[in-house]
Amino acid sequence: MAELTLKQVRKSFGALEVIKGIDLEVASGEFVVFVGPSGCGKSTLLRIIAGLEESTAGTLTIGGKDVTYAEPSERGIAMVFQSYALYPHMTVAENIGFGLSLARRPKAEIAAKVAATAETLQLTQLLERKPKALSGGQRQRVAIGRAIIRDPKVFLFDEPLSNLDASLRAQMRLEIADLHARLKSTMIYVTHDQVEAMTMADKIVVLNGGAVEQIGSPMELYRTPATPFVAGFIGSPKMNLYGGETARRMNCTTYGIRPEHIRLSEGAGQWQGRIRHLERLGADAILYLDVPELGEMVVRAEGETPFAPGMTVWANPVEGAEHRF
Amino acid sequence: MRSVRPYVTGAIALAVAAVIFVMPFVFVALQAVKSKSEASRLDFELPEHWLFWDNLIAVFKARDYQLALAYFNSTLITVASVTILILLSAMVGYVMQRRKTVWNRVASIALFMGLMMPPAVVPTIGLLQEIGLFKTMTGMILIQVAYNLSFSTLLYRSFISTIPRDLDEAALIDGAKPRQIFFRVILPLLKPVTVTNIVVQSIAIFNDFTNPLYYLPGKENVTVQLTLYNFQSMYTSQYNLLFMNILLVTIPPLIVFIFFNRQIVAGMTAGAVKG
Amino acid sequence: MTETRPRSRKSPYPLWFFIPAAIIYGVLFLVPTVSSLWFSLTRWDLSTAEFIGLENFQQFFSEPFLVKGLVNTLIYAVTTSGLKTVCGLLLAVLLTSNIFARGFLRTLVFFPVLVSTIGIGITFTVMMHPTKGIINVTLETLGIPGPGWLTNPALALFSVALVDVWKGVGLATLIFIAGLAAISPDYYEAARIDGATRLQQFFRITLPLVRPATVIVVTLSLIGGLRSFDLIWAMTRGGPGFSSDVIASVIYKQYQAGFYGLSTAGNVILFALIAIIILPFTLWFNRREVEE
Repeated sequence: MAELTLKQVRKSFGALEVIKGIDLEVASGEFVVFVGPSGCGKSTLLRIIAGLEESTAGTLTIGGKDVTYAEPSERGIAMVFQSYALYPHMTVAENIGFGLSLARRPKAEIAAKVAATAETLQLTQLLERKPKALSGGQRQRVAIGRAIIRDPKVFLFDEPLSNLDASLRAQMRLEIADLHARLKSTMIYVTHDQVEAMTMADKIVVLNGGAVEQIGSPMELYRTPATPFVAGFIGSPKMNLYGGETARRMNCTTYGIRPEHIRLSEGAGQWQGRIRHLERLGADAILYLDVPELGEMVVRAEGETPFAPGMTVWANPVEGAEHRF
Repeated sequence: MRSVRPYVTGAIALAVAAVIFVMPFVFVALQAVKSKSEASRLDFELPEHWLFWDNLIAVFKARDYQLALAYFNSTLITVASVTILILLSAMVGYVMQRRKTVWNRVASIALFMGLMMPPAVVPTIGLLQEIGLFKTMTGMILIQVAYNLSFSTLLYRSFISTIPRDLDEAALIDGAKPRQIFFRVILPLLKPVTVTNIVVQSIAIFNDFTNPLYYLPGKENVTVQLTLYNFQSMYTSQYNLLFMNILLVTIPPLIVFIFFNRQIVAGMTAGAVKG
Repeated sequence: MTETRPRSRKSPYPLWFFIPAAIIYGVLFLVPTVSSLWFSLTRWDLSTAEFIGLENFQQFFSEPFLVKGLVNTLIYAVTTSGLKTVCGLLLAVLLTSNIFARGFLRTLVFFPVLVSTIGIGITFTVMMHPTKGIINVTLETLGIPGPGWLTNPALALFSVALVDVWKGVGLATLIFIAGLAAISPDYYEAARIDGATRLQQFFRITLPLVRPATVIVVTLSLIGGLRSFDLIWAMTRGGPGFSSDVIASVIYKQYQAGFYGLSTAGNVILFALIAIIILPFTLWFNRREVEE
């Protein structure tokens, strides 16, 4: 494992700048997640680190070595693609061992290493199968195996769970987290799903429009978002954000309060609103309020909340949980 | 009553198709096994003795086993040109599809010209003479490659777009050099198209008459189609041998067709869509 | 340890992959094709070329046998293309309907496409013999006088065209079958509900929706027809006289006679014909597709 540094990395496609001067330090063994909406540049950044795209400016260092111009295979990285990119005409064993075969390692060595890698991922029974005979989760493990066998300094994951269904996704999240705990490798993980980001990351890099909005641990981003974008991106349901008149009254440009930080009462409170819609999820309930001076307000309450649509209630922010930008 | 309709129309269609499409082949086969005198009547009477082997041997022996030499030449030309063609056109189709380069436009236009425009024969002969490849097998093979490159390349370019780029990138990360990506990842995945291509091209090149006529005249380099053509004037009275020759020339494509029916159909339709 | 390599890294798709093919294709096809434009303006014997301007072309448009070749080429191309398109479509409709032995019939119809043209040519020449040929013999037993298929100058070209269609209709049928398969059955069902007859369905639904296949068939068969040589050469050698000559056979005959410049001019005229006919046609089709 190794540390990774990005200094003032930029990327332009013609006149369009998609990565705008990014600085990043990743410590050895850290699990870093790049997160952001579609088109924010997170995949491009990952591909620049991998060497599949070339940066227009800036430097990249892995393990102290400047790899800005190095070939992908010479950077000490391995990548798990969103589509897994398994070679369809090769068996699982051949897929995993392909890199070694290209390097003309002796057959015995390749076989031994492949067997060992397969063992750690419970793929031993599947070694002679072709990718099309595997399930989604199995294919992903083969893709991970192909990466592990390279003994890379940095693992790169490009939205690996996007192609899986919800239940499988939760299971694979755990597996990847376990993998990280076991190997203690530096891992960079790209996703648009903030749940994956929050649950897996040591450090999250929130990207928007090619620039870094904020870098921090999951809870840092949750408790102290630096910008309204980060505030609205992290946390589900989304933070209530208000600009204009409301914000000015609160002495800021944007005022934010999370749905889970609002308490409702039938008596009195800061805002009065009518419950337009109520979703009962069992443990929680999500209420959608129409507040005259604010607009819509989303509130999270206990599952057995006594309130019902149509009722008028009072809402109060929790002490210290308000955000002013 | 309604369920009989398909059978009735089918039967009529079968009968008509049999007359129109099958009858000429039956005619050929019949004359091919008759004796010289019977064949000269050119009718549908069954032969008295089935002279299949006698006629076959006679045709092969004709003019110092010219047909055997012709078969050898035709096969050599077909195999060599198809092999070179597959390799070269896959390489071009691959880079055309994957790489953004100004040469793609140039190549596209050049290839489309090849699909439509007839080759300028006399200048080509002049050129071949200059290089010293006129009337040589090598020259003929290279000509076949050149003339069939367009179709083959466009076929590959179209098919390669279905191979995800991810695979190229994964191979890159695994340490593959560009040459290795092509030969170890891409080419194996092109197998279905390659089979179709081989079949379609082989039949076309084997049946080609015009190009050997221009570029490979002469007895030593005779091809199967040329022999058949020459046979016509040689054996004006020996219809049985003439038709045996036709039968022999028809059989290779027939065999290929029986085994590769699916691929041929796929190849012809794909080529048409491309065209 | 810093690498100081040039900024732009090599693409994993090497340009040199173009080179072998480019050499063969360029030298053996492109160069002669381009140079033919020059050589068509010369009197030429492969070692010396004497510039004579448009004389060769003038000859083509004045000498009766050369003009006949030009005209024949057009007639042949249009006839074979038209017949292949119409018959191909009708056959395709038949072979996609619910008849017995459908697959077998498709194979039967397609097989001639794969067979040696020379073989077909010889076979039909024999069958078309005015007195001994099986066709005329059969017609005679039916009481119809059989024409001189290949001996009558007025008929020769058409006889060859018929054989060409026989041989090539299978490919047209194949393409049309693919085109028909692409038409959603929903259209026909809606039409049936609206009360359309089979004939109406054919003209209002099938014909318009099969247009992409039609264009392909027409284009391919036109180009093939314009360039046709093998069959004509095998059956008539351009005869009787010059009545069934086409540009391709003229090119060969002039080459045989040593008039290389004239022969090459024939090639240039053929290019021009193909370009003139195909280009506007494809443009017209593309515009109509956009309109839809």
